[in-house]
Amino acid sequence: MNVDVLEDERQHHFVLNMGPQHPSTHGVLRVLLKMEGEYVLEAQPVLGYVHRCHERIGEFKPAKSFMPNTARMDYLGALIYNQGYAMLLERAAGIEVPQRAEYIRVITSELNRIQSHLLWYGAYLLDLGAFTPIMYTFDDREHILDILEDVCGSRLTYCYSRVGGVCKDIDDKFIERTRTFIERLRGRFPMYEELVNGNVILQKRMKTVGHYTPEMCARYGVTGPLLRSTGVAYDLRKAEPYSVYPEFDFEVPLEQDGDAWAAFNVRYREIEQSLRIIEQALDKLPEGEVMASKVPKKLKLPQGDYNCSVEAPRGELSYYLVSDGSDIPYRIKVRTPSYSNLSVVPELCKGMLISDVVTSMGGLDLVIPEIDR
Amino acid sequence: MDIKAMQKKWLELGTEVEQTDYAKTGYDFSLILAADKVHPLAELMLTEGFYLVFVTAVHALPAIEVVYQFARAGSPRCRVIARTAVRADGTVPTISDVYQGANWHEREVRDFYGVVFAGHPNLVPLILAEEDVDLKPLLKDEKNLKDISALRHVPADAEPEEEKAPATAKKEPAATAAKAAKPQAST
Repeated sequence: MNVDVLEDERQHHFVLNMGPQHPSTHGVLRVLLKMEGEYVLEAQPVLGYVHRCHERIGEFKPAKSFMPNTARMDYLGALIYNQGYAMLLERAAGIEVPQRAEYIRVITSELNRIQSHLLWYGAYLLDLGAFTPIMYTFDDREHILDILEDVCGSRLTYCYSRVGGVCKDIDDKFIERTRTFIERLRGRFPMYEELVNGNVILQKRMKTVGHYTPEMCARYGVTGPLLRSTGVAYDLRKAEPYSVYPEFDFEVPLEQDGDAWAAFNVRYREIEQSLRIIEQALDKLPEGEVMASKVPKKLKLPQGDYNCSVEAPRGELSYYLVSDGSDIPYRIKVRTPSYSNLSVVPELCKGMLISDVVTSMGGLDLVIPEIDR
Repeated sequence: MDIKAMQKKWLELGTEVEQTDYAKTGYDFSLILAADKVHPLAELMLTEGFYLVFVTAVHALPAIEVVYQFARAGSPRCRVIARTAVRADGTVPTISDVYQGANWHEREVRDFYGVVFAGHPNLVPLILAEEDVDLKPLLKDEKNLKDISALRHVPADAEPEEEKAPATAKKEPAATAAKAAKPQAST
């Protein structure tokens, strides 16, 4: 073999552009990969393709009117983004939310979380070359979208929470359909486990790929299922209990290995926990109003800064608002989980095979509009 | 983790520590520190098991304020907001060598506010396009710009009028100093 070829960098290193339209990046994300053959020497994500200036927009209109923008950041966790933002304003203005509204928020948010996880499940497997599962998960997901469409009025970019409650009460039909859905999805788990999770090829493809440690997660601010796949039981629904979550009995799924397979299992098992929460919330659902009675039309926030963190499907979502005492925020910062989760890629993907890059990036469950905002 | 011991360590660093009401503000501690102390603080937070939530900035007078949020993935809950005013030359030391996740957050703040993070390995536009390097879209124009004391919590027990007057008077000399430095910050 000619050794000179190996020593001359220009001859055997090359740069590969993954994206911005690569299917496995799930949106317009570009990753620059410096390759040596099949191996990645350097991975550098390039962001900003869908930057829509949400934080700038937030400084120009009344705080209440920012609600629809939150749904457009993470289109898969829109209801959770709604809930977090409503909670932020309620915290700042000191508004009590009726119990029934809190329960409805939890039910719809958890349905939203399941929907997000189902889409990730199907799309991830599609990335890895299994075409069939996405057809099944989309079938299940469709039921959630139908249920939520009835009560929220839209199928993806919801704007359901309001400051002081939710905009529309749920009815018996909603409860009945949700119960039917829970039963249906539970009936599908054995099939998923047999069809997908038990598949040896899939397991071999995922095990030992990517290695997160709790220390690495702290350095990068990685949260959510990826952090829980390293054995750290950190779920904001438990760690900083908000809304009515303390009233429900649910577990935080944990794995120890920190690889793609561990993260896969954590996410998959979270679906069942969300179902448990919904079931209990439906059983305990109190009667009453769904909107607080005294919400001023012009909502003035006392001066100071406020933070509100909730558990989004992908990790910690934090809203940080600085108010000068008027109804228009002085500054809104949205800390989105995927942003910090993706920043780990340059370290995580060093030395990987390119096919494993697809496996690790799929495990991040990226939603690009949430990263670029 | 011992919260009391943690408070003591922050005070030893020379930060101004204030405990806040979580139910009202959404965080537990507010730290105000000089820009030089940012790096030691980051090192301390990492050893104590905090992760970095975000780095952002608020454009106010007398100077742009860089805001860090840290939280702890364990019990007891501890969520900390640390603030520092940018130095007269428009820089703040980077913490991206301690918290690698700060790398992108700092690049974003550079995009939106033009704050230069001294020692950052790769301070090029991240969210904005390369040609918008001087855009700094989140800087406020003159008439919307507020003094930083108008963005702080008003203590519940204090009379609002009395509280505000000395605070603004105290900021006066600093405000003029930073005004002189502001053109430099935007280059």
